[in-house]
Amino acid sequence: MSDDGVTIEFLSREKLSENDFSDKIETVLEKVRNDAVLVLEEAWTPQEKRDLIESSMKQVDEDFPGVEFMGLNAEPSKINRAKRMFFSKIFNEDHRRGLTIVGNSRVMEKIKEERDSVSFLAKLEEA
Amino acid sequence: MIGKLKELFSDLFNSSENEDKSIGIYGPPNAGKSTLANQISKDLTGEEMSNVSEVPHETRTVEKKEKASIEANGRELEINLLDMPGISTNVDFKDFSEHGIEEDEAKGRAKEATKGIVEAIKYLDDVDACLVIFDATEDPYTQVNVTIIGNLEAKDIPILVVANKIDLEEAEPERVRDAFPQHPVVEISAKEGQHIDKLYEEIVGRLS
Repeated sequence: MSDDGVTIEFLSREKLSENDFSDKIETVLEKVRNDAVLVLEEAWTPQEKRDLIESSMKQVDEDFPGVEFMGLNAEPSKINRAKRMFFSKIFNEDHRRGLTIVGNSRVMEKIKEERDSVSFLAKLEEA
Repeated sequence: MIGKLKELFSDLFNSSENEDKSIGIYGPPNAGKSTLANQISKDLTGEEMSNVSEVPHETRTVEKKEKASIEANGRELEINLLDMPGISTNVDFKDFSEHGIEEDEAKGRAKEATKGIVEAIKYLDDVDACLVIFDATEDPYTQVNVTIIGNLEAKDIPILVVANKIDLEEAEPERVRDAFPQHPVVEISAKEGQHIDKLYEEIVGRLS
């Protein structure tokens, strides 16, 4: 976290498509460890979110307690999952339509999530 | 009802040659996983299986009641009941300190907790059925909970959602139903033993 506040970084879908997912997670965690909040122009699957949790847990130490993340287009139902698979096959990456927000858990708090909206409070002071 | 539960497990696993099957209890920290695991373990084996505490991440390794012996339909079955560490996206040793734990021990607990979460995540590939339990006084619609459910759905692992702590005045189990309408939800108090029979009825009715 800088003296002036929290850096919020937006990563475009095109930029994100340059790397495979494991590289993407490494990049995300590196930035998040430096207290940036990332807004990614893509939705992540449950498997990918699971990989994020697992990878972040392996990096937790006294200075880094882990992440908070939120997603729009989180679709838990089987019907919607089937739709996504269908559109994925027809339109390739279309199933990634959505947003994923990831930040250091010491920066992001008071997260409020609903199916079609998310919000959080970014802390400006060190915990 | 205990007889029906034993029959359920018998039915679930009758078709497989491998009788050593795993039932995972998943959920966020302090949802009541270990309390429920103890209740089921006592019903099946007469013994508890996990420590219970108000401190988050009390369960930091996968607690197993292995080869719980169940006799049904003239044959003996063995199941593994798995009480999972609570899955979360962050573990801050300072949270343990708030519960009066010394800093060094708090740091040790935090390290163990992170390993436990990774272990619980890896078990998502290995369980045969799951009870996913939520604290009905908390908002269940979080990315972690959606992620757990989504991964189990992706593998077509049978899920029964449990809304726990309904004995508390502020419990709102309907929020659990609203968050995961695609799954059956049972409202219980694992601590008070409330509606445990209904839980077993749902297991028999939905998963067998």
